Parts: sequence; structure tokens; C-alpha cells
Amino acid sequence: MKIEYEHLNVILQKFKANPYKIFKVNTIHTGYIREFLVKEGDEVKGPSGKWLEKPGTPLFVLEREKNLKTIRAHINGWVQNLRTDLLGRFVEAEETILEIKHPLSQQEIISEILLSALYLVKAPETAKYVLSPGLAAKIEKEGLHKVRIKKGDELLIMTFMKRETPILFKEDGVFLIYNIYFKPFQLVEREQPLIGLCPEEQLPYLEKIVSRIKEEWPI
Amino acid sequence: MKEKILIANRGEIALRIMEACEDLGVDYVVVYTKEDEESLHVRYAKEKYRICDYRDMNDLLAVADESGCTAVHPGYGFLSENFRFARRVVKRSRPLIFIGPSWEAIRDLGNKLFMKKLAKDLGIPVIPGTTEPVYNEIEAELKEEELLEELGSLGVQKPSLLVKAVAGGGGMGIEEVKSLEELRPTFRKIRAYAKRLFGDEGVIIEGKIPVFQHLEVQLLGSKHGEYVHFGTRNCTIQSPYKQKRIEIAPGFSYQETYSFDPKKVEEEIINYSIKLAKAFNYDSVGTWEWLVTPDGKFYLMEVNTRIQVENEISAKISFIENKQVNLIKEQIRVAFGEKLGYSQKDIEFKGTSIEYRLIAEDTKKGFIPLSGTITQISWPELPWLTMRTHVPQDKPYAIPTQFDPNLALAIVYGETFEETKKRGLTLLDQIIIQGITSDGKELKTNISFLKEKTEFLYKFLEA
Repeated sequence: MKIEYEHLNVILQKFKANPYKIFKVNTIHTGYIREFLVKEGDEVKGPSGKWLEKPGTPLFVLEREKNLKTIRAHINGWVQNLRTDLLGRFVEAEETILEIKHPLSQQEIISEILLSALYLVKAPETAKYVLSPGLAAKIEKEGLHKVRIKKGDELLIMTFMKRETPILFKEDGVFLIYNIYFKPFQLVEREQPLIGLCPEEQLPYLEKIVSRIKEEWPI
Repeated sequence: MKEKILIANRGEIALRIMEACEDLGVDYVVVYTKEDEESLHVRYAKEKYRICDYRDMNDLLAVADESGCTAVHPGYGFLSENFRFARRVVKRSRPLIFIGPSWEAIRDLGNKLFMKKLAKDLGIPVIPGTTEPVYNEIEAELKEEELLEELGSLGVQKPSLLVKAVAGGGGMGIEEVKSLEELRPTFRKIRAYAKRLFGDEGVIIEGKIPVFQHLEVQLLGSKHGEYVHFGTRNCTIQSPYKQKRIEIAPGFSYQETYSFDPKKVEEEIINYSIKLAKAFNYDSVGTWEWLVTPDGKFYLMEVNTRIQVENEISAKISFIENKQVNLIKEQIRVAFGEKLGYSQKDIEFKGTSIEYRLIAEDTKKGFIPLSGTITQISWPELPWLTMRTHVPQDKPYAIPTQFDPNLALAIVYGETFEETKKRGLTLLDQIIIQGITSDGKELKTNISFLKEKTEFLYKFLEA
């Protein structure tokens, strides 16, 4: 797959017009909303540090079975649509409590745009995924853009309907692993991208695209 | 105080518990996860809460408190046989009634090795094998020699053994060993597998019963020391992965020819089951699972300390004052401390009942579970048929991928085995389940497999 330069301009303009992504913050389980620790419009930070060891900004406190849990921001941005009406109330799991308006970083823009340029391995089912142990070890050792895969290689293990199913690469040719779009054991909806691949000969072309985005999106 | 039950389960069993509550005039609350929003158990419940997971004890108990529940019904699967959950339900600062046996009974009967040891002490026959976990190869080889000799003396031709992970279940971590040479590598393999998957490298070695029927005894005990049984079921027809697909009650056919007296064997396995239940003051519904060999020998396999999927076929053939029993209602009543109000002599057994488990699976390709969307599910209205399903008939239904793709239970009743079988086959011809898989192909179900296997009901099958 290739993106024409004209088309790349259009995509970049689209991102420039609205360089944000909205992330919902939902309750991870049931409980009472005991306290809000932010207000509408506050700036919040996601986890930081080399190993993301510094936790994100505290957002609100959820109490369940006498245990208080502070829910923190998982991404940078500004608080919006804060549900202050829920203070003191019992909420169900997956209830949206607030949104974070997140400014897209250069790396995120690159990642989004490359979705149109890479060969994508998409989730065949709504399920949990993990890289196959062999592939994960190779990527850790050699790094992205260096690990090659070919037809028949085991890419992923899918946990689906209580069974583990290996997912093999089915395309002809040799590809490089360019990007990983999921976190291990995270539930991925069907058809969402899992891995982005590119044929080895297209690597210089992708690097040109990346340089171009970096020029247009310096931060 | 009026009782109110938290139904800590999903799908068709949640619907059956809801129905039992309504019949008893007991209030209830339903829980569901995001993936289950379209399930009928959610649609029909007046009071419902979305939770993060059916296995999350904290979420379940938080909902129970918030909604003012006084009891928890765990259904089957999920937390139903988790003694820690049962203990927490009854021992917390706001205790609730656990609709099931005591947590001690769940703990002890759920531990297969402990149960086996106790059964042996009570003189109840169990499958020959180790009653303690084996951790070293030399001990394993000694046990193997002993067991092969024991199986030989029981008349088993070409005896073989099963090496199992203690913490395994559902067919996982089991391998067959036919000779002494095979034991060491198999033992090492299972031990490593057990450590990797379950964190416990304990292994048990059991004799393999090559040809058998799988029978179950349905018991009910109350808090007043009363015990009754609702006969037996035969669950021999299973998938290659030991998952039940067709069940029939009673457990033996009175028209089949056996090399032993089936009535006597049935009586003995029922009596042994009650003996073990009494040793635990068992006070709920429970199922005692047995293997019966073609020469009439029988061995206790395990005890399921909960309501079973297939409970309704026992209920269909059990009559008290000419009325069919509802075992979920009985389970709820005894949990609330009621007396049974009848004894064994008041239970009359009439007819035969078959349960078919209708599942989206590819029986030709390793019984792989299938996901997709059900576009049509329909069946004829028949007086001898009870359908249990959480799948809506009025709109497409996406099968959640987090659970087994069970679609419906078809429970058929007839006066005789032949009549019930004929009705079952008629139903399987008329039932319509259509859908598309997530990659756009026609969704397969196991209906053909069920039709084919109906002919094997009451037969001895090879393991």
C-alpha cells in the first residue's frame, strides 16, 4: 500500500484542523463515586517516566466493598464532560465519568497515518491477544522494523471462547514488523489493527513519509 | 423480611432462576456484563446492574448490598463451586444466604483427591488411582506398576493409565500411558505443563476405564437432615473434549439388555451417593458422577456441588402428587431453611427426558467454538418440548466471544425411551438456527452431530 503525497497533505490538514482525540474514562467496576479530584477544564497527565512508573493525575475516587480506589488519567489532556451529578451515587461498571481531550503527539499522528500505508494484521474476532512468545522475544532483541516474518510464521495467540488459538501469517513474501497496535491481553474489537507490516523494499518509502510528517508536525 | 436473590450468572440459567423466583414470589436482581446487553436475561429483568465480570466477587457483593439482596444464587460455572466465594457470602459483615451447600462441603467435595480419599474410607468405589499428588518419577513408576496390576485383577483388558494435572479439569492436562516406558516422559511433560498453567506441578495417575457409561445421581438435602434423590441421568454422549452434549433421564433404559441388573446398580450408586452426602451434612442440590462399566462395575468420579445444566431432565421425570418437580425452586427453598415437605416415597418417576445442547461449533473441525451473529432461531411449539435460551428470536444476536457459544437447551419429554427419542429427532429436524460467522460464512451448529449421536443413547462407549 502507498499513500500519494497529495493524499498525505489532505490527511495532515485533517489532523491539523482537529489535532485531538477524545478518550472516555469509564468506571472499571461498580461502586460509589466518593470524590472528584479534578474539575472541568483541568489539565491532566498520563503515566510518565522511563517505565511509566509515575502514575497519572488522580481523577476521582471509587469505593467498593469498603475499598477506596483512585482512578487516574491514562493519557495527557484536558478534562471535559465531567459527571459531577454522580457524586455520592452508586455507579455500574463501564459508566462514563469524564472525557479527556487529548492533543495528538507527533508519534501518534505518525502511527495514525501509517495505518493507511501499512499492511495490517487485523483482529479476526473480538478477543484478547498476545504476541507469540517467539516473536515477542525477537522484537525485544532486535527491535521493530528489523524482525522479518513470512507465510506460516506464528504471529499471535488469540484467547477466544476460553480457547487459545495461534494466528499464523498467511501472506506470501517477507515482511518487516513495523508497528504493534495492541497491548497484551487487552480486549481488541474485531477488525481492529493488531500489527502493522511492510515489505522490506518499502521501508525507505515509509521513512520518507515519516520524515515528511515530522516536518509538518514538529512537536 | 422478604428474601431477595442476586442472580450471579448469565444466559439461560439466569432465566431459569428468574422463573423459579417468580414462581416462589421471591424478588431478584440480575447482573450482566457489557457483552451480554442483548441477552434475554437482561431484557426480562426488572432490576439489573452492569458489572465488570461474572467472576468478580466484589462487584457481585457490591450490587447485592446496593440492591438490598438477602441471598446469592451462583447458577453453574463461574463462582458456583468456588468455596472462597461461598464462605465470603455467608461470613461478611452483612451476611447473605448462599444458595448452595455449605462452603466446607464445596471445599472438600470439590477437591477431587480429598473426596476420593474420603469416599474410599467410607467404602465407596472410586476409580483406581493415586489419592495424593505425585511429584517424583520413581514414585510415579511404582504407582504405575501397582495400578496396572490392580486394573488387570479387575478384568480390564490391555489396561492403560491416565496421567493428569491435579489442578487441571475440563480435559486439560491429561495424557494416556500404555506402558512403563511411556510413563517417565509423559509424567515430566504433564508436570511441566501443570506448573506452567496452574502453578502446581502435582500429578495424579488413574486407571483408564476403556468402555463405560457416564451416570449421574441427582440428590437434594435440606438443613433438617432430609435427603431425597431424583433418580439418575446418563451423560455418556460428549464431545471429544469431554463436554456433555446429550443427556437422558433415567440413567438406564429399562428396555435395553445389560449384562447386569441395572436397577440394582442404580440403587447402589444412589445409596453410595447419599452416604457421602450425609457425611458432609450436604444441604442443597448436588450431582454425584459415576462411571459404569459393561460388566456392571461402577466408580465414583466426582461431585458437582451446584445445580447442573441438565437438572431439568431429572425434574421432568420426577413427580410429587402428580406434578413435575422444579429443582431450582427446591434448591432455593432449602437454602431459605424450609423443610422438603415430602419424602422419597412421595417421588414418583415417570417417562423419559432428553436434553440436547445446541451450540455454535464446528463438529467436523475439532469442535471449535464459533462466533458470529444468529439471524434466526426458531422451533415448533410442542407440548412435550421445553426450550431454554437467552438468544432473542425477534432480532439478530451477536454471540459474545468471552463465553462458550451455547445457544439453547432443548428438553424433550416422552412416556417411553422410544417415544422421547423419536420426538427428539423430530425436533432436531424442525429446529432452525441460522446465522453468519464473523467472516461472513454460514454459521455452523452441532445439530447434525446431535442427530447422529441420538442413536447411541444408552450405549456403552469407548473413552
